[in-house]
Amino acid sequence: MKKDIVVVVVIVFIIVVLCCGTKIQSVDDYYLTHIDDITEDSETVFLSIECSTILDNWNDLDTALRYEKYVPSNGIILEKTEYVLRKGDTVYDILSRAVRHNKIQMEYQGANLNAYGSVYIRGINYLYEFSCGPLSGWMYTVNGEFPNYGCSKYKLKDGDVIAWVYTCDLGRDVGCEWISNNKGASK
Amino acid sequence: MKEKAFASYHPIILFVYFTVTVFITMFTMNPVLLGISFVGSIAFCGMLIGGKELLKSLAYSVPILIVIALTNPLFSHNGETILFFLNDNPVTAESIWYGVAIAVMIISTYYWFKCYHAVMTSDKFVYLFGRFLPKLALLLSMTLGFIPKLKRRYREINDAQKAMGIYTSRSYVDRMRSKIRVLSILLTWSLENSVDTADSMRARGYGLKGRTSYAIYRWHKRDTIMACLAFALSIGIIWLMFSGYGGFNYYPTLASVDISVLAFILYAGLFILMFLSTVIEIKENVLWRYLRSKI
Repeated sequence: MKKDIVVVVVIVFIIVVLCCGTKIQSVDDYYLTHIDDITEDSETVFLSIECSTILDNWNDLDTALRYEKYVPSNGIILEKTEYVLRKGDTVYDILSRAVRHNKIQMEYQGANLNAYGSVYIRGINYLYEFSCGPLSGWMYTVNGEFPNYGCSKYKLKDGDVIAWVYTCDLGRDVGCEWISNNKGASK
Repeated sequence: MKEKAFASYHPIILFVYFTVTVFITMFTMNPVLLGISFVGSIAFCGMLIGGKELLKSLAYSVPILIVIALTNPLFSHNGETILFFLNDNPVTAESIWYGVAIAVMIISTYYWFKCYHAVMTSDKFVYLFGRFLPKLALLLSMTLGFIPKLKRRYREINDAQKAMGIYTSRSYVDRMRSKIRVLSILLTWSLENSVDTADSMRARGYGLKGRTSYAIYRWHKRDTIMACLAFALSIGIIWLMFSGYGGFNYYPTLASVDISVLAFILYAGLFILMFLSTVIEIKENVLWRYLRSKI
């Protein structure tokens, strides 16, 4: 009977750990976030999200997504907006803060779940990878350059301009050059 | 026990019938089509194994359904109707429905296979494929028969071990360990046995050229009728599904069910196909009762 007690204690312990590790929030609670005010001496970056390439490839788009609320008619999901840069912020941190503030849907794959060791953005505003053809997905630029590594590895500095763009052709339609020589690694 | 009605059709018809039903079930996410397949599989399974057994196995599928429905939202965060946020990730109603649909698909596939197993005995399967794919036929018939065989052997080992006194300890941990011991015996026995089966079949010249085998299956007139009916229905259904009728999207919001005329024809066709086996079974039962009452 002693063994039984030990097992029960272990199981209870695991359940307690699991419960402590989960955080449940209602929708209102989650979106009730305060974004840092921009003051004179704060460092800032700019962020925009756009998907205008979809407008040129409308026939490849998933039929469930062919609505104005998923693909805006001008292709801009988030206008270029200024955000406060906290110390050590990566592109992913800014993006997640921005979409939360603007109530834009976003799904990512955690850094520990893929081979690149970086967060992978699977979808923004219900537009997912492969939603618009087999070569489609989200990519990002910083100051017009496509970094060849993940968004949670890119440390930002004051004044950087980030743009999240949706590609329908593995980056070629948004001006990404290295991908044609170096296949595979995206985001 | 008398020969089941549907099972007395020619093996090739049975095989094609089950292949088509299982494939249609696995390639659709439309709730109407899945629902038809689910009810059809359960009805036929109930006819084959009896209501009591069916209820027992349905009780197992409820927890499976719940687990799959609740697991999907942990991995998929797509969907507009957010219920709450779990560790900063949305849990959406759409992904729960998607999970339910997958669960229904898995459960109905399971029941179709259960029916398949009751109807397509391994001798029928080997009769169909033994000549041109001897190795694959033997392998598949052994694999498909494995679960019931394992169940039977598990009970046997359990009884023997019980007689030797393994479940005498009152501690749950000890009992679990006894179960593990039974499982390990089961595994060893089954592995050894399947090797033996293969050797034994080989020793009897299975799959050799020129070897004939006795078969009791003949093609009757009703087989032709059944083949034409099932073939026409399957072709119609598959053609309609490939032309995009009865499509359904779960993300980002649940789509509305396709209610065009052709979609209704699709639903009706699938309904007839999926309930064909049950109807034949019922008809034969009624006839049997009626004829017996006249004696």
